[in-house]
Amino acid sequence: MTGYLLRRLPSALGVLLLASFAIFFILRAVPGDPVATLAGSDPSPETVAAIRADLGLDRPVLAQYGTWLADVLRGDLGRSYVIGGEVSELLSQRIGKSVELTIGALVFSLAIGLVLGVLGVTVKNRAGQAVLSAINAISLIVPAYVSGFLLVFLFAITWPVLPPGGHVSVLSDPQIGFQYLLMPALVMALPPAAIVARYVKDGLLQALGEDYTRTAKSLGIPHRRILWRHALPNALPPVLTVLGMLVGTLLGSAVIIEAVFAWPGLGTLAEQAVTRRDYPVIQAVLLFMVAVFVIVQLLTDLAYALIDPRVRLR
Amino acid sequence: MPVSSIFTSRRTVLRAAGAGAVALGLAGCKSAVDEKKSSPAGASGQPKKGGTLQIGSLTDFTPALLFTQNAFTAVHRLVFNTLTSYDPKTLQPQPQLAKSWQVAADGKSVTFQLREGVKFHNGRPFTADDVVFAINNLKDPKRSAQLRATAAVVQEIQVVNPLEVTLKLAHPVSNLFDLFEFMIITDKDSVEEAVTGKKLIGTGPFVFKSWTPGASLSFAKNPEYFIPERPYFDGVEVRIIPNNDSLVSALRGKQVQLAIGLNGRDVAPVKTDPQFTVQQYDTGSGAVYVGANVTVKPFDDKRVRQAISYAINRERIVQQSLGGFGLPSSAPWPKSSPAYSDATAKRYPHDPERAKALLAEAGVSNLDVPLAYLNTSTVIAQMIQFDLQQVGIKTTLEPLDPAKFQAQLIGQTMPALWAGSHGFAQLHPATLAVSAYPFNEAKNTSKFSDPAYTEIVQKAWRQPDADSPAAKAAYQDLSEVLLDRQFVIDLVVLANLYVADKSLQGVGQNTYASLVLDDAYLA
Repeated sequence: MTGYLLRRLPSALGVLLLASFAIFFILRAVPGDPVATLAGSDPSPETVAAIRADLGLDRPVLAQYGTWLADVLRGDLGRSYVIGGEVSELLSQRIGKSVELTIGALVFSLAIGLVLGVLGVTVKNRAGQAVLSAINAISLIVPAYVSGFLLVFLFAITWPVLPPGGHVSVLSDPQIGFQYLLMPALVMALPPAAIVARYVKDGLLQALGEDYTRTAKSLGIPHRRILWRHALPNALPPVLTVLGMLVGTLLGSAVIIEAVFAWPGLGTLAEQAVTRRDYPVIQAVLLFMVAVFVIVQLLTDLAYALIDPRVRLR
Repeated sequence: MPVSSIFTSRRTVLRAAGAGAVALGLAGCKSAVDEKKSSPAGASGQPKKGGTLQIGSLTDFTPALLFTQNAFTAVHRLVFNTLTSYDPKTLQPQPQLAKSWQVAADGKSVTFQLREGVKFHNGRPFTADDVVFAINNLKDPKRSAQLRATAAVVQEIQVVNPLEVTLKLAHPVSNLFDLFEFMIITDKDSVEEAVTGKKLIGTGPFVFKSWTPGASLSFAKNPEYFIPERPYFDGVEVRIIPNNDSLVSALRGKQVQLAIGLNGRDVAPVKTDPQFTVQQYDTGSGAVYVGANVTVKPFDDKRVRQAISYAINRERIVQQSLGGFGLPSSAPWPKSSPAYSDATAKRYPHDPERAKALLAEAGVSNLDVPLAYLNTSTVIAQMIQFDLQQVGIKTTLEPLDPAKFQAQLIGQTMPALWAGSHGFAQLHPATLAVSAYPFNEAKNTSKFSDPAYTEIVQKAWRQPDADSPAAKAAYQDLSEVLLDRQFVIDLVVLANLYVADKSLQGVGQNTYASLVLDDAYLA
């Protein structure tokens, strides 16, 4: 397995390098710059020039990229232009919160997706199927700001049992932290849950039609045991793959969900930095997200092999 | 598979869910909702000491903009003080860190006597040197202070003694006290740490504790504040809630007692709810306008610009896009301004026929021009587009995000027309014409220049006494020239408002909309 990882490393690093280049230059191609934000509403040309020189933005773009890349390789992410403070500090304040929310959402989407997927195979009557597919469709299509505000309206205002927004770490205070996490994680989990349910259902249907299932049935093994012990494990690998892909979607949807629930994670940091063209912060956040995605893809491949021994890592 | 067999598992799931719900409801269980709830309102109307005020703010603190007026208003007058502060009704300066002052008869110098015994939060005494530092700091272009032009008029600073300082001016300026209302006095030794948000040291009612970017700021009471018995609160917590609806939810869910940064439309759900107060200030919060690039034909003709002013239905913008909050006005001035008058506000009523007549007179037809706008106010841009269409001016909407909009505004690269908002009309009228970019007589986005305008602006600015009849006449001239030339077509003075829990009393703000909590308490 170490050998496998080592073989994958160069391509992962290549992806990161390419991403760093794309991020840096696309950002600068977008109109507007941090100087305009920093200069306030009545800047004189001297103010603009002073700030530009102060940030080093008067140097050629390629030279700026070189400096930035060299600094990043040394572990120095630079200083934020607009938000203020060290970028590494801004990131480290947020990463934990984003990880908390993303893991919460992944757990919810896997749990809800599994339940809905299994029910999709086991519920036979028409009304039940209609209800299930309605739940699926609604989870998939209702945008986060609608489901988010609906939940806030129901559980924070009409029947105030949960806080409407904010964050308390689950690690520092599990009981309170979980109450803060519940709504945002659920909202984030809904669309991926519908996708997971779909994959679980298809995987199960396929597995239940296989020869080994028929053999098991003819041997008199109870249906429930066949479903849970034989069909489900065979249906899981594709679900895992799709879950790995969904991490990217989750990181993207964080921008809206974090804003709705005042959850101070990477999503709001990215939004704040983009609207103010805080280059060093956007670069670091995007690069971090790409890195996470690359790592998750690697882990997905590894996990694939663990669940399904037929897959051999070459 | 028989349906019955899955029932067991479903029952187990339901049972587990039920147990969870019961667990949350158990008496001994902590609730995140109750934990943050405000204390119940007391019966007496007397100021109550103690407690922590929870504020929800739409925008986050930006330390780099500490010396600039910006959207985050909950730091300047909490941590810091200014030399003087205006009476919001009369614009008369009142003592703050300066206890008295004398302006020379020729308006070319001012001497301040400073309050004795005032200490910074780090224990260092406040002296005249801090005033010297503050003025020089505002002159630094990197601070991007909007009142830099006025600070630059201060040519020489003489420290008479540690508690007395004299400023010599290049020429008299009518908006001098706008500067002293604006200029926060910071500890001079930690200013570089202040603009990165590490350390904020002032003399104000609250001591800065911490700032977690994107999440919260925390302040504690300054026990040595120079106003005795103030502030009432033991502390202030500001939570950053970047979504308008979420901020309203936090207020309704009693997580915060004061919401700042909301606009009229946001507060509609709580407007009529007796649990909340919607407080409006006459100073407004800037004005929505349409700018015209006078180098693009036919907008070099003032009749075409005046036609636009007649074509737009200002009242409808207030009602339909701003939730009924705001003042439809052809002039930039809010009601608190010495230049405000009903007559100037109503100079351009909604009159499409008159607009068409003016366009015909100017020989303009089949006009099709771009209309740039800030993408955060699409509805207003669409209303302007509709109104202009009615008089035969076709526009193509060009949305710009805030950074791009700002860059084009200061870079003078706006298309024929653009819609945006400007500030600085709440102060002395000359401040607008020398400090707000769309109006700046030296260089403005419209590329408008007119010797008559320059003369009027300079005359209004260089008044030695801001309240003299001569000064007032100069403000009227300024108002008239703006209304006639219409390179900036003002539409609506935006409402300056906050929403608070009914129990919150004594909240104030200065002329730059900075929150003042010296006298605030929860009844």
